[in-house]
Amino acid sequence: MSQSPPKIKSSAKSNPLFDLGKERLELIGKHAEALMAGYVEGQVSESAFSQQALQKLIDGRVLFYPDEQQSLSLRPIVNELIASLTQDERKRQINSDVGEHLDQIQTRVQSLQAARQKGDYAASEHHMQLLTERVHDMTGQFGDAIESLWHRLNTEFGFVSSLDDKILEIELAQRQLRRILDGFGIINFDDLIQLAGSDGGLRKLLVSQLQARISEHSGSLLEVQKRLVLLMARFRQQQDRALLINRMSAFLRQHPNFQVGDYPNRSQVPAVVNQAHGIKAHAFVALDRAQDSYALAELARAVPREQEADTNSAQQTQGFDIAEQSMVATQQKQLAKDVEDFFIQVIDSDQPISGVEYLAENELTWDPEIWLFQIVAEYEGLPQQSKHSFLLEKESAAKSPFNQLHIIQDVKLGMRFFGGFQEVG
Amino acid sequence: MIEHGPLLERLLEGEFICTVTDEHSFHKLQSESLVEDLNHFLRPLNRRVAKNDDGSVYFLAYCELNQDARQQLSQQFTNTVQSLLPMLEWMQLVQEALGRDGALTAGDTIKLQDFESKVVDNQSLLQRLAHLASDKHFRSTSEKPDMQIKQVFKCIKELGYLYQPHKDRLFYIVTGKIEQLIELVRFIKDEENLPIDDVPEQEAMF
Repeated sequence: MSQSPPKIKSSAKSNPLFDLGKERLELIGKHAEALMAGYVEGQVSESAFSQQALQKLIDGRVLFYPDEQQSLSLRPIVNELIASLTQDERKRQINSDVGEHLDQIQTRVQSLQAARQKGDYAASEHHMQLLTERVHDMTGQFGDAIESLWHRLNTEFGFVSSLDDKILEIELAQRQLRRILDGFGIINFDDLIQLAGSDGGLRKLLVSQLQARISEHSGSLLEVQKRLVLLMARFRQQQDRALLINRMSAFLRQHPNFQVGDYPNRSQVPAVVNQAHGIKAHAFVALDRAQDSYALAELARAVPREQEADTNSAQQTQGFDIAEQSMVATQQKQLAKDVEDFFIQVIDSDQPISGVEYLAENELTWDPEIWLFQIVAEYEGLPQQSKHSFLLEKESAAKSPFNQLHIIQDVKLGMRFFGGFQEVG
Repeated sequence: MIEHGPLLERLLEGEFICTVTDEHSFHKLQSESLVEDLNHFLRPLNRRVAKNDDGSVYFLAYCELNQDARQQLSQQFTNTVQSLLPMLEWMQLVQEALGRDGALTAGDTIKLQDFESKVVDNQSLLQRLAHLASDKHFRSTSEKPDMQIKQVFKCIKELGYLYQPHKDRLFYIVTGKIEQLIELVRFIKDEENLPIDDVPEQEAMF
């Protein structure tokens, strides 16, 4: 391997096309930035070039004016070149025309055979070269098309953003694929065998090589086809799902009182609602198996302990807390019980009873305020039905004429019959 | 059976097993003979291994629909139906905020940070988030969007529709249970003959 690029054959250099082509390729390279900007924006800005450069690009068949009104653009073939080089699937074109290639191949073979008959070695070699190129162009064109299809497939048509567009793109790809397969159908190998005749080189080029490439491409295309169908199904499913969600939520918003059927109590419960509720399997330390005792003892030893030094004071505070808490709880219970007794008394009595009087009569030690509060709380806490059976009347007086504060001084509780106190009824 | 203990326990606890929550167990459950063995064990508990229509998620269903089972199902179904609208609205919100085309599907990942930055940039999304977060199913009392988002996602994770691979990292993966929810929506639509297929024009008006 030498470091320098391989020397170009001098015969190629002597071809008059060589210099012209090189000059034009360089021209494209020189203005790459402005041309790419034009590619992306869809039109080329004239101000990006000097007058001279612009003229060169137009003469060099790189840029053109589609017609008098329209602005300067890249020639379609340049657009296509860039799209193909950058795998830009938005603009990449698939050329599946086979007929043209086959016509050209036929013509080349005829010219080749004519040159051979004449014994013109140079001409026949030239025709052979053109013929080889033509065949490679054709298979290369298929190869490019298939590569483009794969590329779009592998990126899941990421070059368009919306799902609708993706579905349209897949449909387009499917049509392209069908056209390529149709193109394969046009290639008639019997004709090509006849055309090649007994010439080994031609046979290899036109029949065995071509056949191998085409069958390879067909296999690839079938795979693409399969994958396109799958992808399409997935996109359609996604689309369908998004639609379902949107419409269902719109429906539920418009019909807030919509009632769903009672599926769980149907004779045939739909599978979609049959989901068992969770069970937690708890287990506890058990000492009824001797063989576990060692492991349990290990566990017990591993339980983190509080620091020794703090235990005493901690225990004391905790002990006190608990004692106080339980005392409060006992008192609370007693108060609730006394209030309950008061309610029972009310039920037994045929007259409404005053809370304050009851407190005094029964010589209960509760602070009147707490006592009344507990009665009201108990009354408010009753279930609706029971609450309805009682009637609570609060006797209150305004604390001062300057505000709305009323102090409850007593409550009277009685049974309610026909909407009033018993005595009223 | 011993080696399937943890799997059984998770199923019994009411978990849905899919490729997101536990890929290994999911593949195990694809074996019919294992499911048969598990069902044999589950029979006295009145449970069996079930899967959704497209087989993307496994869970336990009741074998026999006795009174007890029906009562449980009723309760669960009522809860699901009541939380249906907020769930659907959440799905729409995520889809729109993240600029996705299709609806959320099992395996989709959601980074809370991305979601938050998209929502905060858009007044209408912000309003919808606030409305959603204050729904009785999500019970967020915060006025801050980031707290609202955290609360909503936490609740949905608890419902089993989201999986959080790392406890301290705020990114979630949608689980297969969502497929079950979509199936339920489709079922309700078909069963109740909801006129939502035929009237896209009407919807467009709103």
